[in-house]
Amino acid sequence: MIGIGVQTKNVVNDNHPEEGFVMLKRAGFSCADFSLNAYLSNVSLYQSEKNDFFTQTIQELELFFTPHKQGAEAAGITINQMHMPYPVHVPGGDREINDYLWNQVAPKSMAVCAFFECPYIVIHGFKLAHFLGAEELEWQETLKFIDSIAPLAKEMGITICIENLYDGIGGHLVEGPCCNGKKAAERIDYINDKYGAEVLGFCFDTGHANIVGIDFEGFITTLGSRLKVLHIHDNDGISDLHQIPFTFAKSRENLSSTEWDGFIRGLRKIQFDRVLNFETAPVLTAFPEPMKRDVLGFIADIGRYFCEEIQRQDVINS
Amino acid sequence: MSMNILCAPSGLAALERPQKGIIDIASAGFEGILVDAAMCCSDHELEFLGICQNLPQKNREESKHRNRAKVSEHPEELYNNLKPLLEQCKKEHLLTPITRAPFLRRNTKRGDLKSVLARLAEESIHMCSEIGCGYLIVNPLFAEIGRGEEWKASREYYLSLAGTALENNVMILLQNQCRELHGRLVRGNCTEAEEAAAWIDRLNAEAGRECFGFCMDAGICSLCGQDMREFASVLGNRIKAVILRDCDGHYETAMLPFTCVNRGQSATDWLGFIRGLREIGFDGLLIMDFSTTASAFSQFLRPQLIRFAWDVAEFIKWQISMKNVLKKYDKRVLFGAGNMCRNYMKCYGDEFPPLFTCDNNKDRWGEWFEGLEIKPPESLKLLPPDCAIFICNIYYREIEQQLREMGIAGPIEYFNDEYMPSYYFDRLEYWEVSEQ
Repeated sequence: MIGIGVQTKNVVNDNHPEEGFVMLKRAGFSCADFSLNAYLSNVSLYQSEKNDFFTQTIQELELFFTPHKQGAEAAGITINQMHMPYPVHVPGGDREINDYLWNQVAPKSMAVCAFFECPYIVIHGFKLAHFLGAEELEWQETLKFIDSIAPLAKEMGITICIENLYDGIGGHLVEGPCCNGKKAAERIDYINDKYGAEVLGFCFDTGHANIVGIDFEGFITTLGSRLKVLHIHDNDGISDLHQIPFTFAKSRENLSSTEWDGFIRGLRKIQFDRVLNFETAPVLTAFPEPMKRDVLGFIADIGRYFCEEIQRQDVINS
Repeated sequence: MSMNILCAPSGLAALERPQKGIIDIASAGFEGILVDAAMCCSDHELEFLGICQNLPQKNREESKHRNRAKVSEHPEELYNNLKPLLEQCKKEHLLTPITRAPFLRRNTKRGDLKSVLARLAEESIHMCSEIGCGYLIVNPLFAEIGRGEEWKASREYYLSLAGTALENNVMILLQNQCRELHGRLVRGNCTEAEEAAAWIDRLNAEAGRECFGFCMDAGICSLCGQDMREFASVLGNRIKAVILRDCDGHYETAMLPFTCVNRGQSATDWLGFIRGLREIGFDGLLIMDFSTTASAFSQFLRPQLIRFAWDVAEFIKWQISMKNVLKKYDKRVLFGAGNMCRNYMKCYGDEFPPLFTCDNNKDRWGEWFEGLEIKPPESLKLLPPDCAIFICNIYYREIEQQLREMGIAGPIEYFNDEYMPSYYFDRLEYWEVSEQ
């Protein structure tokens, strides 16, 4: 059965996490994408700043997240996926930060993921093509990182998911790591064969794909069952805005400028039966706080619409 | 084949009075032009074919030609319409090695024009044959073609042209396309390099001879946010021509390369573009299309603008062919022992090892840097005549003059590390250079 999920960021807070999970449930969600990345911001990392959150022991982290876990369980929300802090490597960053990310943040994120009994953790591939010169060489570095956590993933029953990303050139967002569906599929198969387990899968990010004009249907179909999780959000094709689907139009026809039909067709073709997860935390800060419940409810409604369209028997039969 | 720099004349030379524009193009140094059949049969004309007799006026240029026979209705007139332009090119000794067949608007719904497009493409092939033009760009069919049906439709279309193309020694070039999606441009036919390569290979296999190739449009790659190194490297020697044009990554324009700038950086991945074409040893046609930039300039400034465009194209050619120049020589030495030398050694040191490097700073003579001994410039006098000196220092002209004044007659080349296949994560400061 297809679930509907959303990020916990801007909904679940550390003081009373149970309240946030209840809000999600009431809005119509069955699942959540736990925003572990919120505990170590990418903006700080790129500025060579790190906080000490992940210097805590695994036991301390488990203790810290126990109310979150219990809150989710009590509200009937399944933590289906989480996002590892990113980047896990700062190009040209100092050794101390990169050691911390690789040797502390990554394995402890895996441990937190296991603690939540969460089956999927999303990682960002390294953005090194500028320095290394080729996407393949960049992938080899990401591969080293995956190899460093894949044994843990196997042991813990977690699937690490790589995500299609973008990079920036003069403010113009262009394709970054994992934007080639065919290569991603081959690489996932290679890793999974190597470890004899499904340690690697894919997270399709609709917003990132939209920015670089990727054909949603073709990409999703190429990935097939390797597609494990989703980051559903919308934008104007220019900036990574993480907004509500169907909210951008570019012409007088006022039709969505994002190819949501292709998204539905692709998921229908591969018989996607996992979680329609929305990565729309910024929406919640854009709308006034008193509207949060309504906004979440609207996002969940869109999730239900997607779900119905993906499962439309008349189209499937035809 | 050596890389020819061509100019897309649209917006620079008028179709019926091409003299001034063509003279400007030739005087600027361009070796030829892209013969753009859209100049006599525009997407606008095709859009209204059979719908209204008098075209809604699009621009002044088009309105001037309202009284001539429409090429869309009389494809046999295509060559005649382009003749004044072609004759002027001949007069100015400009080459016409590539033509672009008429094409449809990106947002068209005119799926009924397949046979018209085929006829126009056939006429373009015949014209190519008449003028000795070896390449014809023919866009894949896309209008009103269902998703997933593109290959089937285009295969049939291209193969229907293959016989005529082969008879006339014309190679048909496919080109990467955008697709219009409710007001914005997304990836279309042949935008994915693997797909484009597969199409070309299958078409050539079915045609029985190599009569299909590729024209890479850098502007479309940029609009689709693509990694141009990957794109070029996948297509490899199928790429016969490249269209150089800039855009902001969101709207389709033909700006002069390096002019779409944001936050002090070009919005187009010129690094990836140069890396890719250098890697595949590209030596085909380099077509400069800056019609959008030109349209904003006064006629008075056009000659200077066209000359500058040629300089830009020449710079890009130099960057692309950097490795081919290194290959030309069996022996080489470097001049300069700083970051540029370090970058040379990182990227090309193994494949094209220099005998040594030299530097004007006498304090460094006898030192070793990046595995090379630093010698005084005087030692260059002892080089065999076939050994090239690659200057790895931005004071190219001054150093070249110094060497010539020393009586060195051998080949001197400029090496540049602005667009390298890879980079170090750091850059040596001046004090680190000698410490190293």
